[in-house]
Amino acid sequence: MENKSVERRRYAVPACAISEEGGTVTVRVEMPGVPKEGLEIKIEGNELSVLGERREAEARGLYLVRERRSDSYQKLFTLDDSISREEVEASLENGILTMRLQVKEAAKPKRIEIA
Amino acid sequence: MDLVKWERPAATDLWEAFDGLRGELDRALDPFRVPDVAGLFDRTTAPAVDVIETEDEYIVIADLPGVEKKDLELSVTGSLLSIRGDKKSEQESEKRKFFRKETWVGSFNRTIDLPDRIDSGRISAELADGVLTVHIGKREEAKTKLIAVSVK
Repeated sequence: MENKSVERRRYAVPACAISEEGGTVTVRVEMPGVPKEGLEIKIEGNELSVLGERREAEARGLYLVRERRSDSYQKLFTLDDSISREEVEASLENGILTMRLQVKEAAKPKRIEIA
Repeated sequence: MDLVKWERPAATDLWEAFDGLRGELDRALDPFRVPDVAGLFDRTTAPAVDVIETEDEYIVIADLPGVEKKDLELSVTGSLLSIRGDKKSEQESEKRKFFRKETWVGSFNRTIDLPDRIDSGRISAELADGVLTVHIGKREEAKTKLIAVSVK
């Protein structure tokens, strides 16, 4: 089988929160250090991929403490058939990416009125 | 992920102490080891920081995703730099159903003891893309000086 990933890099997995309210699924991904230009969001088939490139200039000097990871972020989500591929909104603020996905009308629970 | 949870080891069970020791050894030999640095009064959740020393300043970088400028407080006492703030959650409502929540909200505090006396007059901070960068100047006498020695 052909290996899809051409370059092998180490990525950090960002912390995320997924919630749903009234047919809108909100995905929040914490990616500090990633500017808007370093962000790549793709939907391919059932896969939503988020790639966040850290664009920070390496500080020159002696590291006394080093706890932060300098790797770029990558996260893959699998999308259900009930999620609309067309209506995806994304915004980046203070290092948090917020994506709003819509549940397809057909997949929403229907209320049946009793005549 | 980036607000690192610091766990205080429980010392109630003897075997747990051995587990802790093994974990510590594993960590010591881990090439990607992250050093444990946390101040005495720090909360259990503190942001991950980098401290870099250059010729004339210290640079402290902290990952603070989702923290707004107005919710952040920086203070310097002697050689101690304290970063405290609040990470606020998005609008919560009862109808919201969470499927996954790895993120964390609440207040945090991180104290960093810088090695030398610092020049409290030369501090600047900036918050961009969820990353706080603080530049703290060194005092003149703390800088390394080159002394020319003439050989007769």
